[in-house]
Amino acid sequence: MSDKKGQKKEEKVDITFFHPDLLGTAADEVAPYPYLKGYRCKRCEQLDFPKPSLCHNCWGEEFDVVPLSTRGRLYSVTDIYIGQAGMQTPYVFGYVDLPENLRIFAQMDGEPGSFKCDDEVELTIGTIRHNRQGLPIKSYKFRKVWE
Amino acid sequence: MKLMRDVYIAGVGETRFGKHGVDYDVLGREAALQALRGSNIDRPDVIQSAYVGNGMNGIVTGQTVFKDLGMCGRLPIINVESACSSGGMAVYSAIRDVAAGMTDISIGVGCENHSLHMQTGTAFSPAMSDIEGVQGAVMTGKYALRANRYMYETGATIEDLAGITVKNRRHAANNPHAWFRGQITVEEVVNSRMVAYPLTLQQCCGIADGAGAVVVCSADMVKKLGIDKPVRVAGAAVQSGPYHNRPRDITADDITEACAHQLYEESGIGPREVDIVELHDAFTISELLYYESLGLCGKGEGLKFLRDGNATHGGQCVVSPRGGMLSYGHPMGGSGAAQIAACVKQMRGQCDGYQVDPIPRIAMTHVTGGGLSGTEHAACTMHMLVSQW
Repeated sequence: MSDKKGQKKEEKVDITFFHPDLLGTAADEVAPYPYLKGYRCKRCEQLDFPKPSLCHNCWGEEFDVVPLSTRGRLYSVTDIYIGQAGMQTPYVFGYVDLPENLRIFAQMDGEPGSFKCDDEVELTIGTIRHNRQGLPIKSYKFRKVWE
Repeated sequence: MKLMRDVYIAGVGETRFGKHGVDYDVLGREAALQALRGSNIDRPDVIQSAYVGNGMNGIVTGQTVFKDLGMCGRLPIINVESACSSGGMAVYSAIRDVAAGMTDISIGVGCENHSLHMQTGTAFSPAMSDIEGVQGAVMTGKYALRANRYMYETGATIEDLAGITVKNRRHAANNPHAWFRGQITVEEVVNSRMVAYPLTLQQCCGIADGAGAVVVCSADMVKKLGIDKPVRVAGAAVQSGPYHNRPRDITADDITEACAHQLYEESGIGPREVDIVELHDAFTISELLYYESLGLCGKGEGLKFLRDGNATHGGQCVVSPRGGMLSYGHPMGGSGAAQIAACVKQMRGQCDGYQVDPIPRIAMTHVTGGGLSGTEHAACTMHMLVSQW
């Protein structure tokens, strides 16, 4: 039994970081696509991402989960050639501004040099780093909207 | 902070900055001893409290610095950590003791050794519990985001940014404490290895080891010690970074603006009156943004301020006269205290080969840092210094 369990663990390579507080998937049945989770304070209606311990505006403790827009505007972006210890370079990150007046820091899915300020981008899911066993950690990223 | 009585700087010390084979405590001790001897102190029982700033070297760093000076057991030693602001905050804390009348003489030390403690070829990053840290954030990259937006909005080029390194290295040409000094061309800066676009290696402060120390005291103690050239602390301010998760202008710096505003209010000295500034030029873009955030020039005028020669010898205010972090490198805990030490030496006319002329009478220092998601930086510390002779 324990052997079988161990084996099953090793096969599981899809590690979604910060899930489920940050990122919802279609399996949640809230939206038919992956979405970032906004938190609307039940007391003062302030909308935040990421989830605060308590509402920064009124200290309310209860929130409604709101699926955030999956498209936004890339406020700024950079290509990283010397990165964090343990991270493969180059990688790209930036700030994405969503219509809900929220700014998301995220990695970009795409080649270095292919993004510029004010590009329209959309949410996707991809590998953001690897864990100590070398397995990919998956989370939210943004990619360019081409149409 | 509101200074409840006058506080003076008696003596200062700084090590050579660069890679050292000895650890932070040896460096801290060297700087502290210079500051103590420069204050005409020749015994271990004069200083009444000590604060030691260090970012990443471990626990009980202050006690480790002072143990071998025979000072442990004679005074409270308090360790101060706020990433890049640590050294400045240690001096601030020493000033606060004297200002409040809790002590008549105190010391603030900032020290750090990165080269013995850090994996080479990696960049500083927020903690792994930080939402941006997990996404791969590094400090170089966070400043690169600001640089790209600044360039996008103003039309500034990488060559413009490189001009800051060229200026600061020129300032440091004859400064024996600086790590990188002397001639470098815009082309060499631009063509150095890419770190985080548009920031190339020569636009980033070196990951250095070093220390600074500052002895502060009351007016009575200035007389008792026989200090010739006491530098008065006209203001000292610390701010924590406001949290945002909404769109905002990152070519401005809210924490620096707030800290500077407080400093100007309390000291009664405005930014255009300042003769020299050591600011947080960890990257070329930072110096450019801080010209504006500190109010040395108006918003959007940073590049003109630089190009017109207003930030160098003969200009409105010599920015980074020691060469700044772009020449010294930036040992997280050390820089804040070393900036103050360098300014005091300038005001005392002790900078042979890199002396600002005429000798400056008003100096300002600024260190800000700490990667914390939602803030521009976690902490900012500033000081305003005036020569009093």
